[in-house]
Amino acid sequence: MGSSSSSMDNIPNAEELMQETGFSAAHLLRLYERFEFLDKDQTGELRPEDFGAVGGLALNPIGDRIISAFFSPGRETVDFPSFVRVLAHFRPNDTNRTRNGTQQEPVNSRTRKLKFAFQLYDQDRDGKISRAELLQVLRAMLGIQVTEEQLQSIAERAIQEADLDRDDAISFDEFRKSLEKVNIDHKMSIRFLK
Amino acid sequence: MPSRTCSHSPTGLGKSLPEQGLLLLVVLVLLEGSVLPLGAASSPDVSHQDDSHNHKVADHGVNATKKAFPVLDVDYHHIQTPFEISLWVLLASLMKLGFHLIPRLSSIVPESCLLIVVGLLVGGLIKLAGEQVPPVLDSRLFFLCLLPPIILDAGYFLPIRPFMENLGTILMFAVVGTVWNAFFVGGLLYAVCQIQPANPSSLHSIELLHCLLFGSIISAVDPVAVLAVFEEIHINELLHILVFGESLLNDAVTVVLYHLFVEYAGVGTVTVMDGFLGVISFLVVALGGVLVGAIYGILAAFTSRFTSHTRVIEPLFVFVYSYMAYLSAEMFHLSGIMALIACGAVMRPYVEANISHKSHTTIKYFLKMWSSVSETLIFIFLGVATVDGPHSWNWTFVTVTVILCLVARVIGVVGLTYIINKFRIVKLTTKDQFIVAYGGLRGAIAFSLGFLLDQNQFAHRKMFLTAIITVIFFTVFVQGMTIKPLVELLAVKKKQEAKRSINEEIHTQFLDHLLTGIEDICGHYGHHHWKDKLNRFNKKYVKKCLIAGERSKEPQLIAFYHKMEMKQAIELVESGGGVKLPSAVPSTVSMQNIQPKKPPPAKAVERALPQLPKGREEEIRKILRSNLQRTRQRLRSYNRHTLVADPYEDGFSDLLIKKQKMIELEKRIKEMNNYLTVPAAPPDSPTMCRARLASGRDTDFKPAQQQKGNKICPDPQAYSMKPVSDSVPIIQVDLASPQSPDSVNVMDEFRRANQEEDQGLMMKPHQGSSGSNKPGEADTTRDQQKLMRCLSDPGPSADEDEDEPFLP
Repeated sequence: MGSSSSSMDNIPNAEELMQETGFSAAHLLRLYERFEFLDKDQTGELRPEDFGAVGGLALNPIGDRIISAFFSPGRETVDFPSFVRVLAHFRPNDTNRTRNGTQQEPVNSRTRKLKFAFQLYDQDRDGKISRAELLQVLRAMLGIQVTEEQLQSIAERAIQEADLDRDDAISFDEFRKSLEKVNIDHKMSIRFLK
Repeated sequence: MPSRTCSHSPTGLGKSLPEQGLLLLVVLVLLEGSVLPLGAASSPDVSHQDDSHNHKVADHGVNATKKAFPVLDVDYHHIQTPFEISLWVLLASLMKLGFHLIPRLSSIVPESCLLIVVGLLVGGLIKLAGEQVPPVLDSRLFFLCLLPPIILDAGYFLPIRPFMENLGTILMFAVVGTVWNAFFVGGLLYAVCQIQPANPSSLHSIELLHCLLFGSIISAVDPVAVLAVFEEIHINELLHILVFGESLLNDAVTVVLYHLFVEYAGVGTVTVMDGFLGVISFLVVALGGVLVGAIYGILAAFTSRFTSHTRVIEPLFVFVYSYMAYLSAEMFHLSGIMALIACGAVMRPYVEANISHKSHTTIKYFLKMWSSVSETLIFIFLGVATVDGPHSWNWTFVTVTVILCLVARVIGVVGLTYIINKFRIVKLTTKDQFIVAYGGLRGAIAFSLGFLLDQNQFAHRKMFLTAIITVIFFTVFVQGMTIKPLVELLAVKKKQEAKRSINEEIHTQFLDHLLTGIEDICGHYGHHHWKDKLNRFNKKYVKKCLIAGERSKEPQLIAFYHKMEMKQAIELVESGGGVKLPSAVPSTVSMQNIQPKKPPPAKAVERALPQLPKGREEEIRKILRSNLQRTRQRLRSYNRHTLVADPYEDGFSDLLIKKQKMIELEKRIKEMNNYLTVPAAPPDSPTMCRARLASGRDTDFKPAQQQKGNKICPDPQAYSMKPVSDSVPIIQVDLASPQSPDSVNVMDEFRRANQEEDQGLMMKPHQGSSGSNKPGEADTTRDQQKLMRCLSDPGPSADEDEDEPFLP
């Protein structure tokens, strides 16, 4: 493991990152290598074009949303800590990790995962998924085979089912409630990141 | 699958105690009556084939002398075999009826136990009558006729997503667990048999290979027994699919081990080479079975693409192709069960997209019916075969077998779970492990395999059979009866109400895309990546080949949405009866959308409404109440073998809300005073046609031209009132005539808008409040009576297995 320790030095604030996100050193290293691979022009930061080079994302209906999720609002580039922080959401939950009271909620808890997903819907960050935002997502996912009315009716029904306080938008709590039967810990975890 | 617990409400059956007693008596008399001809007929049939032959020859010989022309003649032999078969089937069905008349019994004792007891009784009666018990659990009969329907039913309705998600775990349990069980039981039995040097008993002559063979027969968890017991206990989906999936997939292992040991038991030794060949053989058997099944499944899907003009025989293709898959696999000694499962699972999404709604219902009903009868027969035959023998009871052997089976199972499950949990994201808890271990029931497959053994080659066959039967009885009776209270005691998570909402569907798809994207970013080809690739492949190539027409391009979210809308439409009709509903056109705007510009959605219950005339309101309430009553009555009794999962038992409050909603809706409709048309879906979507439940003959009733004429409202929020036009697509319930009780579907035929008297569900222009009230009322009462008869059979509804998209 000699080489890895020298590479670990390249990672700024490795210890802190490991603490914050819960990744092990090996994982962090792997992610760093991936980061370097994506960073084609070796600037130490990723730009949207770098993400665009990733194959599958172009075909992904919500690929652009995912990419923009990495970028904090207002920033144009992603540095390694932000990269890792986003990916930390997808770590599988360790059920046997002891939580001392002072520690804030871990990044990969169910609520945080859901919050991340929620923000992908809620592009204008107003804390609610409005009808228009939902329509956008549906349009992206369903493509061209669907007519406008079908989209409208699906969105309508979705909102009516979920919207409990009847403000015609889905808040985070309503979002969470509508997914209570889904095993988010299982669904939003990538084993690779364990 | 729908559950099976029985009703407890006396009103549900309306039979008093003396009536129940009478029915039971009738059943028992029939039992007696059926036994005697069986006994009488079977003994000449079974033991003396040539006897009947001689009989016939003698008959012909007598012809030489003239006798009086027989006015009435009894020729039993002519119809003997079909008659006996029918008698058995009738017996099985009557037994099923009988059990559900005794509500308390079926909640304590699982049905399988009762059926075995009945079989014992019947066998006992036959023996008492002095006749020879027919060898009913003949292995050929079992494997070729009784088993396939059950497996096909299981495979066709297999919930694909939990199955695939847990496939690794299931395979571990099925393969490694069964092999472990076989060797543990076989090996230790051999050791035990050898350990009594003092008084050499017959046990000493057992060879190791015979013991291993016995171990392999007894170690396989039986899908029939598991299904029968687990259906009634409603545990959560994960455990259910684990145990059930294991019972299905261990067939390959059983087949290989069985043939391996049978093959080499004669020779006496097994070398490493043979072991190696065994492993290869296992792969061939398992993968070959799946391949054969998949091929037939694709053929069936492809055939169903062209059946749009001959809808009546659509179900036949499903059944025949599946059965042929099974037989083909059996021909090559591949795993027939896996072939059936693969065939059903592969063909289902494509076939369902192609066939008409009625065929879909038919397939469902037939599969459930056949599997139900099969299962009943299997258990009864088990009982009969037990009485028949031949038995050779050996205390040591039998008790050691039972104990070893239990111990092996527990050790196997615990050990495997320890390994498996390292790879699982959602770990299996101790409770889960207990249920998995406890749910390892043995059943008729083990018995049939034992029955197949050659008496000459295996001297201890009788002892084996006795031991197998004992283990089966033990697991089915003891474990089967106690698992339900244990589940309660341990507070194991129960099955959740599987009403998938559209939100769940949308969000799960969204999350799938999200995870695929993240995996791509990480550069990791994980679970989601491959699933996504498979989905894409499916959408691009496979669906185009196998699905007819427009539906090949339909995204699964839309299909799901349509299904939901239709279900809701059906539910509302069932619960609300004759109230005039707006047209329940599924693929378009749902009922809630009929609202002016910006009111709160229709689900809101409290709102100030204009008062209806008191009489009218009373009328509506009375109608709804009586419908509710009837709905409740009709939907009370259910088990796995009915198709309605009784959505109302748990969701009675939902029903009340819906009822309220309907009242609101009606009031608002009166208020609005207009047609409310709704924009239509793309014209040729076969979903639409299916949604309207086109009748068998005139399949797609061309909504195309008419719908093109509809204007599409620019502002989707405001479904502004449009004037009446002939081109309005209106759904009408063509009410089945009162004399036809066999209208299986809820809405038998949806036809075009014929302005006739029986309007059923239709939006009418409101010609002034009082004017239309009177005919409305009369219509209502008459219509809803007809509707209730029409609805007397719960149609295709809440089977949650269907909600699963193919590759979610």
